[in-house]
Amino acid sequence: MVKVAGIAVLVWVLSGHAHAQGRGGEAPATPKGGAPIDLTGYWVSLITEDWRYRMLTPPKGDYVSVPLNDAGKKAADAWDPARDKASGNQCKAYGAAGIMRLPGRLHITWQDDNTVKLETDAGTQTRIFSFTAPAGRAGDWQGVSTASWDRPRSPMGFVFGLGQHYPPVGGSLKVVTTKMKPGYLRKNGVPYSADAVLTEYFDRFDVPGGESLLVVSSELNDPTYLASPFWTSTHFKKQADAAGWNPTACAAE
Amino acid sequence: MRVVKSLYWAGLLTGAALFAQPPQAPAPAIDLSGYWTGAMHEDAMERGNGPEIADYAGFPINEAARLWGLSYNPSRVTLRHHQCDGYVMPYQVRAIGNSRSWEERDPHTQQLIAIHWWHQTFEGHRVIWMDGRPHPPAWAPHTWMGFSTGKFVGNALVVYTTHLKQGWLRRNGLPESDQATVTDFFVRHGDHITYTSVVSDPVYLAEPMVRTTDFYRQPSDPTSWLFACDDGEQILDRKPDEVPNFLFGQQPFVTEFSKRNNVPLVGALGGPHTMYPEFEAKLKGATEAEGLAETKPSAEGPAQTSRAVDPVPHDGEIHVWRLRNNVYLLLGDGANVTLQVGDEGAFVVDSGTGQLADKIIAAIKRLTDRPIQYIANTSARADHTGGNVKLRAAGLDPSVIGSFFSLQFADAGVGATIVAQQNVANRMTAAKTPSAGWPSDTFLEERRRMFHNNDNVQMFFEPNAVTDGDSIVQFQRADVIVAGDIFNTTQYPFIDVKSGGSVEGEIKALNDILNRTVYQHEGEGGTIVVPGHGYVCDEHEVVEYRDMVAIIRDRVQALIKGGATLEQVKAARVTIDYDTRYGATTGPWTTNDFVEAVYTSLKQPVKH
Repeated sequence: MVKVAGIAVLVWVLSGHAHAQGRGGEAPATPKGGAPIDLTGYWVSLITEDWRYRMLTPPKGDYVSVPLNDAGKKAADAWDPARDKASGNQCKAYGAAGIMRLPGRLHITWQDDNTVKLETDAGTQTRIFSFTAPAGRAGDWQGVSTASWDRPRSPMGFVFGLGQHYPPVGGSLKVVTTKMKPGYLRKNGVPYSADAVLTEYFDRFDVPGGESLLVVSSELNDPTYLASPFWTSTHFKKQADAAGWNPTACAAE
Repeated sequence: MRVVKSLYWAGLLTGAALFAQPPQAPAPAIDLSGYWTGAMHEDAMERGNGPEIADYAGFPINEAARLWGLSYNPSRVTLRHHQCDGYVMPYQVRAIGNSRSWEERDPHTQQLIAIHWWHQTFEGHRVIWMDGRPHPPAWAPHTWMGFSTGKFVGNALVVYTTHLKQGWLRRNGLPESDQATVTDFFVRHGDHITYTSVVSDPVYLAEPMVRTTDFYRQPSDPTSWLFACDDGEQILDRKPDEVPNFLFGQQPFVTEFSKRNNVPLVGALGGPHTMYPEFEAKLKGATEAEGLAETKPSAEGPAQTSRAVDPVPHDGEIHVWRLRNNVYLLLGDGANVTLQVGDEGAFVVDSGTGQLADKIIAAIKRLTDRPIQYIANTSARADHTGGNVKLRAAGLDPSVIGSFFSLQFADAGVGATIVAQQNVANRMTAAKTPSAGWPSDTFLEERRRMFHNNDNVQMFFEPNAVTDGDSIVQFQRADVIVAGDIFNTTQYPFIDVKSGGSVEGEIKALNDILNRTVYQHEGEGGTIVVPGHGYVCDEHEVVEYRDMVAIIRDRVQALIKGGATLEQVKAARVTIDYDTRYGATTGPWTTNDFVEAVYTSLKQPVKH
C-alpha cells in the first residue's frame, strides 16, 4: 500500500509539479541568461498616436486625456518654459515618466548580466534597470528602477496529467521606477510628482515576415497630480543599426 | 478500501502520465476572458468626440489615401446606405465603450476553438479562430471584423486577419481598403491588456500602421452591450445619384485643424515621414504652401495600378462557393457564374468565357442531377456568354417539351432556354457569335419574372449602364442579387459607350441594386451581391462602388463645365484616389479607358 501511494505521489510530482519549476527544471544563472526576449538594439519611435502632443509642444493648458486632479491642472496651467530653462530644468519632459513618449530612438544594451541600460537620443538620457538591486539616484530625472522578468504564470496547485502543463514561454521586462525628480508627462508642463510610481512592461513582437516592435505599456500612479492611473502604450520599430541616432540636448519647449 | 483508493489514483495518474499527448502548440499564455474597457488616455479626442477634418498626422498614408480623405464630405454618412456602417476591426478596437471576451471550447474535447471579443460600439463581434482552420478563399465575403486566426506565441496572443471590408483608418475620411490585413498582438499584465495592431494596406498605406490600445479590466458586467441603428431619410429631395464630396483642392476645411492647433499643414496631412522623429525638425520651417501642394493630385508621377489581390485563382479549375440556400457561385472562367439548383432544374446566370464550360457543367452535375433548364445572361459580353453554347447543349427545358411550342419548333425544349434582355440578343447577333448561344427567350420590359425552384426569380433591365442590355438577376427567397458587370470588385466599371453604356446609367443601375438590398446588421450581411467579377459582396461594397463612380463623374463633369478636353481630363488624374484599388495601365480596360468612357458619355448623354 505504501508503495502504491508512493508511485502516486511520484507521478503527481512528475506530471505537474515538476513542470512548474521552469524550463529544464533549473533556474537560469543570470537575468541576461534567462531573458525570455531580446530587447537589445536600436529602436525608433513611431509617432502614430497623440501626435500633436508628442511631435509638437502643445499649448499651455491642453492636457486632454491625462487624468489630472485639481492640483495637477493647477500645476499644468502654471507651466513656464522660460522659467524651467532659466532654472536648469529644461529636462523636465525627459524624465522616466515622459521620455518614452518623445520622438526619438532608444539604444538598449546589457550593461552587465544583471542590468539593462536604455539610452535615449532625445535629451541624451540613460535609464538603468537592475534585476538585483534598485538602480539610479533618488531625485534624478530617471529616478530609481528595479527590473524583473514578468513571465506568464504556470497553473497553480494540482494539475492533472503529463504533457498538458508545460509552463508558458515568453515574458516581458517589468520595470518599476520611483523617486523621480518631478517632471512633465508632456512638454507643455503636464506634471508628475516625486511621489509618482511608474510601472512599465516592455514587450517585443515580431511581425511575421518583417519587422520587430517594442511596445512599452506604462501605468503611472501619482497621488499628488493624478486622479486615477495614467495608462499609455508606446511603440518602437527595430532598426538594424544606429542609423538616425542623434543625441540632442533637452529642450524646455 | 484505502488500498483500493490508492490503486485507483495511482492508476489514474500513471495513465495520465503515459497517455498524455505532447502539446501540439504552446500553452495558452494569456486568458482574455472577462469585461474590459479601453483606456482613453491616447488619441482621446479622436476616439471620443471624433477626429477633425484633415487631421492625418502620423498616419503612414499614401497620396491616394490623403486625396480620398480630402474628397470626403462628412455629409456622406447621411446617405441611407452609410448610416449604419460599422467600423472595421482595427478601428473599432479604438472606439469608446466596453468589451467582453470569452472562450469557445469544444464540449467534448475541451479544446479551444475560438476566442470571442465583443465590442459595444457597433456591436462588433470578433471571432478569433484558435483551432488551426485556414482562412477562406479570396472570393469569400468581407466583413467589418474580417476573418481572424490566432495562436499563442511567447506571452502573447498573435492574430492574423484578412477579409476586412473597406472602412476607416480614421473616421474623418481616411480610408482603409478591403485589401488590408492585420497582425495584432494581445498581452496581458495583470488587469491590463495591451493590444497592438499592425495594419498593412497595399492600397492606402505606404508603410504598416502600428497602434497600441490599452484596456483595463472591469470587475463586473457593464451591462450595456447594444448599439441600435436603423437607417432612414436624412435629407429629403436629394437626388439619388448625389454623393456628397469635395472636388480636389476644394476641401473648405483643409486648414482648420492645422490652424486651430498650430500644426503645420504638412504634418496634419500625414504620410510615413510624419511618424518618424526626424519630422520634428522639419516641422519648424514648414510653410502652408507646402501643405496645400499635397491637397491636389501631384502633377506628375507614375500611373498607379491596382494593388488588390485577384480573387480568381486562374488555376484552370471551377471553384464552388455556396451563397445561400440553393444558390451557388461558380468561379474561375472569366465572369462569375451563379447557379440555382432545385427540383425543376438548374438556373444558371451567365456562362463564363466558355473555356472551362465543360468543368462548369461538371460542377453543376455534382450539385444537382437535374438538367440545366435556364441560362440568364446579364449582358452580351463574351466573358458572360461564352459558355452559352455548351451549357445550353448540356441542358434541356422540360417546361417547353410537349407544350404548344413543340408544335411550332422541332427543337423546342432541346437544350436550356437562354433568357436575356432583347438587346443582348441583338448584340450577339450583330457580333455573329454562334447562334446556338443566342438568347431564345428575350424581354423588353423592365422586369422578367418567374417562380423557379421555390424562389421568386426576377431579372431587372438596367438600360444604358455598362451596355444597352444589362440586367440584374434577383433570387428573392435566397436573397441573392447577381449584378453582372454593373458591379465588380476588380476594376473600374467597364462602361462600353459604343454598346450603349453610360456613366449615368451605371450609377442608376448601382442605385437600383441598392434599392433591393437589405443589410443584416450594422450595414453588413443580408442580401448577397454577386459581382460580375470578384469576390462575394453585400450592399456595402456596392455603395462604396456607387460612391466612387458618382464622385469621379462629378470631377469629370466639373472639368467639362470648365471647358476641359478629354486629354486635360485624363491629365487631371481624376481617379487618383481609387487607382491603387482599381487602376490599370494595360489590359482590356485601363484607367484611361474608363475616364474616356465617363467623359464621352457625359458629353454625349444617352436619352433614356
